[in-house]
Amino acid sequence: MPMVVGVVAGAVVVAVLILIGLFKMMWRVAEPNEALIISGSKHRTEGLEEGMGFRIVTGRGTLVLPGVQAVRKLSLDLNETELSVDCVTHQGIPLKVRGVVIFKVGDDFVSIANAGRRFLDQQRMMSERVHNVFAGHLRSIVGGLTVEDMIRDREKLTGQTRAACGTEMEKLGLIVDSLQIHEIEDPTGYIQNLAMPHAAAVQRDARIAQAEANRLATEAEQQSYARMAEATRDSEILQAGYQAERDKAAASSRQAGPLADAAARQEVVVQETRVAELEAHRREQQLQADVRKPADAKAYEKRTLAEAERDVRISAAQAKAKETELAAAAEATRVKTAAGAEAEATKTRGTATAAATRATGEAEAAAAQAKGLAEAEATRAQGLAEAEAIKARAAALAENQEAVVAQQLAENWPEIVQAGASAFGNVDNMVLLNGADGMAEMFAKALTMGGTGLGLARQLLSSMNQNGPAQNGTSPAANGAVAPASQKIPLEQEA
Amino acid sequence: MDDASMVGLMGRVTGTIGPGLVGEVIVRVRGGAEHFLAYAAVGTARITPGTVVMVVEYLPPRTVYVTAAYDS
Repeated sequence: MPMVVGVVAGAVVVAVLILIGLFKMMWRVAEPNEALIISGSKHRTEGLEEGMGFRIVTGRGTLVLPGVQAVRKLSLDLNETELSVDCVTHQGIPLKVRGVVIFKVGDDFVSIANAGRRFLDQQRMMSERVHNVFAGHLRSIVGGLTVEDMIRDREKLTGQTRAACGTEMEKLGLIVDSLQIHEIEDPTGYIQNLAMPHAAAVQRDARIAQAEANRLATEAEQQSYARMAEATRDSEILQAGYQAERDKAAASSRQAGPLADAAARQEVVVQETRVAELEAHRREQQLQADVRKPADAKAYEKRTLAEAERDVRISAAQAKAKETELAAAAEATRVKTAAGAEAEATKTRGTATAAATRATGEAEAAAAQAKGLAEAEATRAQGLAEAEAIKARAAALAENQEAVVAQQLAENWPEIVQAGASAFGNVDNMVLLNGADGMAEMFAKALTMGGTGLGLARQLLSSMNQNGPAQNGTSPAANGAVAPASQKIPLEQEA
Repeated sequence: MDDASMVGLMGRVTGTIGPGLVGEVIVRVRGGAEHFLAYAAVGTARITPGTVVMVVEYLPPRTVYVTAAYDS
């Protein structure tokens, strides 16, 4: 029994497994990116009208009878085709265009049916087919565009694309998602030339901008440097100022002690000076009191005493002078009287003597008269002649007594010189500093003394007139004419 | 997914629709958004991109005739 159950259970399991296997074989599911195209039965041709002969399933599973129906998959994925086409633009410029076409099978059943009919076995070759189609279409597209449009106007490119191949691709059941122009080879340099003005302008603007930027940067830099220098300068000035303040403060602090000392000393000196001044003032006052006042008093006293004494002396001197004057007057009177008496006596005595001498002389003269008479007579003629001459001169000079004296003096000059020279008789050695001139001067002085003293000369003459005959022992000359002859003799003797 | 389902749908112009031009609209359909070649349904209207349009006619497989959804 259990064995039967086991067999049955095993059979059921096997049957289930077989059923599952069959179901798996019959049930097909369409992936999201593919469409199942099922052919072989006429039933349930959903989505498609009669006559197509196959059905399309997308996005779900469906039951397929193996052996009765054929199931094919059509990929709905995106495809792309590289294009490289030589073409001519609307302006007639030849270009070589490289582009890409991105397309896919349309999602609606019509497109899937169209594409299924055309490409179901040639899905690998779909790109090639599209390439061939688009190579021609791209020429027409480019032919409807200018280079500028191709480069710049994407809307116009897509519009041209739709116009050229939109309906064409509908026939193939394809839709074009995008036509991209990758690269345009430009053998004539049109695009480069097209770009050149703009490039030049851009370059110019770039250079301008660069220069401006450089200028601004340099300005900013220089301003920054200037600010830096300014800041450095300010900082250094401030530092120097602070350093100076520090130094000043330090110096002040260093000198505070000495300064205080000096100030204190100064105060002390000031006070001492004040004290000294006061002392000096006091001493001055004291001196005024002690010395000057007494000195003044003493001086006044002395002055007063001296004045008194002077007055006394003056009075005494005046008295004495008076006394002396009176005494001198008395003496003079006395002397005058005595002299008068003496003179009278001498006169009297002289008169007597003269009388005596006269008598003696007359006697002697009488004696000599005899002896000399001859001689006198001999010389009388000469003497008379001379006397006559002298008389004439005397007559001529009678008016001038002095002239007579001078004449006599001249005649007696050798005597005078003798007398003058006698002064030098006792001189042993005489030194004359001036030589011969000195000697002459000396004699001249002596002679001048003799010459000038007419009184003396007269006295000398008189004495010679008186003493000459006495010394010679000759009789006195009877007249003046004889005297000069008698005078010559002693002179010659003495010489 | 018959034809009637397309008519009446709202879409947006992505390529200028006008005389001599093949326009393009994008329409939300079948759970996604697909683009269709578009022509103006009436006259010689020129419909610029961005305009909201309504599909008034659908020609399988990929062509629709549209008209501006709003008068403005």
